[in-house]
Amino acid sequence: MMRFMFLVASLLLCAAAFGAEPVVQLNSATVAPREIEDNTEKAVVRDYTRAWQSLAIALSENNSAALANDFVGQAQDELQQRVSAQQKSGLHTRYIDHGHNVQAVFYSQDGSAMQLRDTARLEVQMLDGDKVIHSDQFTQNYLVVMTAGDARWKVRVLQALPAK
Amino acid sequence: MNMLRLIQFAFLLAALLFAARVAEAANLRVPTDATAGAEVTIPTSGSGDATFYLFGPGTAIKRAVKFGEGIRLAGSDLQFSGRYTAVLAGGGNSDSGVFFVAPSKPADIAFLARPSRVPASTRQVISGTAFVFDNNNNLVTQPTAVNFNLGVSQGRPETRTVSTKDGVAYVILDSGRQAGAAQFTASLNDDNVRRVVQVTASDPCNLRMRAQPAKNGILVETDTIRDCAGNPVPDGTIVTFTEVDNTGRSTVDARIKKGIAQAQLPPSQSAQLSVAAGVVVGNEIHWSSH
Repeated sequence: MMRFMFLVASLLLCAAAFGAEPVVQLNSATVAPREIEDNTEKAVVRDYTRAWQSLAIALSENNSAALANDFVGQAQDELQQRVSAQQKSGLHTRYIDHGHNVQAVFYSQDGSAMQLRDTARLEVQMLDGDKVIHSDQFTQNYLVVMTAGDARWKVRVLQALPAK
Repeated sequence: MNMLRLIQFAFLLAALLFAARVAEAANLRVPTDATAGAEVTIPTSGSGDATFYLFGPGTAIKRAVKFGEGIRLAGSDLQFSGRYTAVLAGGGNSDSGVFFVAPSKPADIAFLARPSRVPASTRQVISGTAFVFDNNNNLVTQPTAVNFNLGVSQGRPETRTVSTKDGVAYVILDSGRQAGAAQFTASLNDDNVRRVVQVTASDPCNLRMRAQPAKNGILVETDTIRDCAGNPVPDGTIVTFTEVDNTGRSTVDARIKKGIAQAQLPPSQSAQLSVAAGVVVGNEIHWSSH
């Protein structure tokens, strides 16, 4: 029975780590200087969700191609460098995403850029080959800048902030 | 009794040895005030061989080290601001720590200015957004003053100083009265980013026309068309002339050419002539051929 429960728990963990969509909740009540239109809000939630999925795949599989559609600029450079460094050292990082509470704080007047504050609940396993060398479950604040382009919003800045 | 004391002493000694062993175990003291691009040394304790790991933005390091020696991280290992996890493992011992690398000094500015073309004398129409970065392109989260300046030659510039919030500063400005290429700059220390916003004449003001008989109808022609600030309305702008008489309505759209618009309307013995450009309506003329 215990073995069965362990198997189910492991499968759920794997499902959470690979493929399952993280839950992203966006609050835009205090955004300035421009309000976010309903369709834009839906698009940002959709694309930010995808970005975290892509990040998890890229760092787990050391596959920087997974980042191409969802990241741009500084955020893409950082993640590509991380993937490349992991590849060289035989390391991997596994993300289990427990959801994001996102607050929109800035939406540019021309509608081309948006800044978000994300409080993410994450579980991260760091692996050397197949061996888990460290795992951590934590809540992390991120400062995010997304820019519009190619019919989708892409993450341009994804910067973790220390707790205040 | 002596036996009991001996056992108690043995337990105490074992506990002390265990405590000493624990104290000797791998111990990692992560930095509390690391800055992007600056090197740090992480002190460790214990003895023997170990493997050091560092996971962070743009970084994943695996390095053979010795317990008890400082682990030096170069500025290039910590060029990105964010959360770093350090792990030290070896000989059955393991320790880890999380630390944050803060952005360094403001050094660079990214400036979005919209739109590229605006009508003169219009309120809250030009927006400028500045993102402030350090040398490593980390968004600087400390408040930083950004100067915005909008001006056309021979006109008085409009200047605002705005402090960033989470790395972003923005302004929304009125367009000036004078048409021309306005220089819109955002500056931070010595870094200055310039954009050009073309200010065009606004809607026509005091649109006036006159009419005279022509060979095959009525020739209507405007005065030079200007906006309320005196800027000539650009050539190509559509002006609509309308004639209403007892046979019906005739409309001609004409483009402004060399500052004026003209058209030929159908002949009529008695008609009401009017002129308009966009939402602006000009004078009316009651035409009578007698």
